[in-house]
Amino acid sequence: MSADSTQIKACCAAAYGQDAVALVLRESYHPGGLALTRRLARALGLRPGQHVIDVASGPGATARLLAAEFGVTVDGVDLGQSAVDRARSAAQAARLPATVRFSVGDAERLPLPGGMADAVVCECAFCTFPDKAAAAGEFARVLRPGGRVGITDVTVADGGLPAELTTLTAWVACIADARPVSRYTDILAVAGLRTVRVEPHDDALARMIDQIEARLALLRMTAADHLMAAGVNVDAVLRYTAVARRAVADGLLGYALLVAEKPA
Amino acid sequence: MNAEVLVTGESAVAANSGVSSAARKRNRDEVFVEYTKSVCPVCKVVLDAQVNIREDKVYLRKRCREHGQFEALVYGDAQAYLDSARFNKPGTIPLIFQTEVRDGCPSDCGLCPEHKQHACLGIIEVNTNCNLDCPICFADSGHQPDGYSITVAQCEKMLDVFVASEGEAEVVMFSGGEPTIHRHILEFIDLAQSKPVRNITLNTNGIRLATDKRFVAALGERNGRGGKSVNIYLQFDGFDERTHREIRGTDLRDRKRRALDNCAEAGLTVTLVAAVERGLNEHELGDIVEFGLAHPAVRSVAFQPVTHSGRHAEFDPLTRLTNSDVIGLIAAQRPGWFRADDFFPVPCCFPTCRSITYLLTDGTPGGPDFGVVPIPRLIQVEDYLDYVSNRVVPDYAVREALEKLWSASAFMGTGTTEEKLRLAADALDCAEACGVNLPGAIADLTDRAFMIVVQDFQDPYTLNVKQLMKCCVEEITPDGRLIPFCAYNSVGYREQVREQMSGVRVADVVPNAPELGPWVTESPYGSKIARNGTSNGPGIAPDMTNVSRRAVRR
Repeated sequence: MSADSTQIKACCAAAYGQDAVALVLRESYHPGGLALTRRLARALGLRPGQHVIDVASGPGATARLLAAEFGVTVDGVDLGQSAVDRARSAAQAARLPATVRFSVGDAERLPLPGGMADAVVCECAFCTFPDKAAAAGEFARVLRPGGRVGITDVTVADGGLPAELTTLTAWVACIADARPVSRYTDILAVAGLRTVRVEPHDDALARMIDQIEARLALLRMTAADHLMAAGVNVDAVLRYTAVARRAVADGLLGYALLVAEKPA
Repeated sequence: MNAEVLVTGESAVAANSGVSSAARKRNRDEVFVEYTKSVCPVCKVVLDAQVNIREDKVYLRKRCREHGQFEALVYGDAQAYLDSARFNKPGTIPLIFQTEVRDGCPSDCGLCPEHKQHACLGIIEVNTNCNLDCPICFADSGHQPDGYSITVAQCEKMLDVFVASEGEAEVVMFSGGEPTIHRHILEFIDLAQSKPVRNITLNTNGIRLATDKRFVAALGERNGRGGKSVNIYLQFDGFDERTHREIRGTDLRDRKRRALDNCAEAGLTVTLVAAVERGLNEHELGDIVEFGLAHPAVRSVAFQPVTHSGRHAEFDPLTRLTNSDVIGLIAAQRPGWFRADDFFPVPCCFPTCRSITYLLTDGTPGGPDFGVVPIPRLIQVEDYLDYVSNRVVPDYAVREALEKLWSASAFMGTGTTEEKLRLAADALDCAEACGVNLPGAIADLTDRAFMIVVQDFQDPYTLNVKQLMKCCVEEITPDGRLIPFCAYNSVGYREQVREQMSGVRVADVVPNAPELGPWVTESPYGSKIARNGTSNGPGIAPDMTNVSRRAVRR
């Protein structure tokens, strides 16, 4: 198996139970795109000169946007060295190196001092953290008193997903570990963060499913032989996306924006 | 001033009878969203106009002192109309303007220094004659003894005007009349190719392409010469015999197919251009796209709601087709391929004028391996082309590519459009997301990319000066002006130019709407004109708005 096909398999091998969607989406794209990022920034009330920590900053698009449009300084933290490298060079290209910094680090042990940040943002990543309580504790630690954390993430209905959708959770880690909104607010509350705003954005998830389907269709057109070599069954994947789409339509799967505050 | 004049109607009655409870204020049934200028569809006088939203649709309304009030549907989806405002790009200033600001828009065309955009596309109408006499023709062309055709010297002057304004021009379209029957049409193409004009598009009914293979071969030889393309913009309204008879007056189905096959043989790239009319061929949009996808010469389809300027079937201004209606029909007729939100407004002109989507396709429709993916499902287009929200875009090279693709100068078959498609495809960031880098495969795919354009041109009912002021599709006139396409057709410039060129009096054309019946009569060309001819003496579109007068008279 060539390197290429291994990668495709990693990307799209839903039929084999790998974490396809998280891989397709986590780095480059989150539901809602830049528009939802702006909404999050406004919900946080960001003002010029403030300091923001972007947890799971990926290639840094959010950090650049926050710095350029809201005049804040940003520390991006990501688990992957390659994502951090790309984020750094993109910030350089955007002439933002002084206000946007990136470092490799784990959300559950942020490599940053406590009590310094005016805000933390975490987009489409909280659901993937194995120890959510630890991550929430870190958010609380790095925030100054009165600081806010803004999260956008996948949600499931109260009581979790029904049994017929468990095939879906086997396929997508971020859905497998997504929680009802009330669970997220509980986790934050335990860390001492009081939720002050919750907004549903389920249509952002529906659009993400469109994007997954479109990318799979594109891969089928451009690299059918690679896909076959990797043992990826696109039709099987598309059955999963259809299930996911129905789950969104039925309100079982959703996407939410949350803002929580550290007491002053 | 007598206070009583302020009390009118119901409230006056209620006040006089002393039953104040009977006087209930009512809400208007519409939301007022814009104040603008338009023209009277009968006398072409410039009028104040207002845009209102009623029951999720957008209407333009105006009142002429002489002919009364007129209203027309301008957009079938109010939410889409308002959302599109974000897709509005700062205009580019042309190198020179051809006229001065004197009477204001739309009477100073053009381009005058108040115009907000340069010309993405310049149109040269080479004649008024045509080898058809279509019942629907915004140019009012046909077998007519009293029209005009331009000379080679005039064509050269028109090209020079365009180049002086643009520097290097992206696209010139030769149109008419029917440009292929002009005996100098190949010379015109050669002339254009000798100038800094990147691409040429020939707008034709296809009759000569179907019957004269030598001519098609001559076009094929010119396509790609010196890196400059010659592309075909082929009138193509559908497949029903009735569609052909009612829009074109004759069944052209066989000739369209032969024209397309001849183009494919000569290596010419074709855009199918459908005039779409309510109750006529609105059911054929999906079929036209599918046919285009299957034909080797066709790389794009342009849908144009019938422009109710010139000659056309009787219509109702309040239920006419708009861009959002056409997009809705496309999505409804091929739900497996399209959704309405696959289309995005074009930011170079006013965003309500034109919407575009691109498809990446593989295989042939109906075939087992046929695949189709609208590019906007792969790239978050609004992250690049929403100029209001985005102070930061993810990648400026991608924005530049998308700007050129979502533009009035985008034509499949031109080097610019192909190059920008490749650039956009490179940005699909599948490499980044999936670890799959397939530039070669994607390049193959962009060679088969397919464009769908929806463009609602304005008529004397729908004309909104706000849109005219940012128009980027210009008619180049023999006297050296660049006139926004919809001003040319709706305000009176077409009549002015034809009169100047032919020496024959040309009355202002009036739309064929039943409510205008009392004022109109037949023109010699089959269109409707005001019964009293041109009623307003000299000048284009005299102004009856409230300008040039004290705000309060004392």
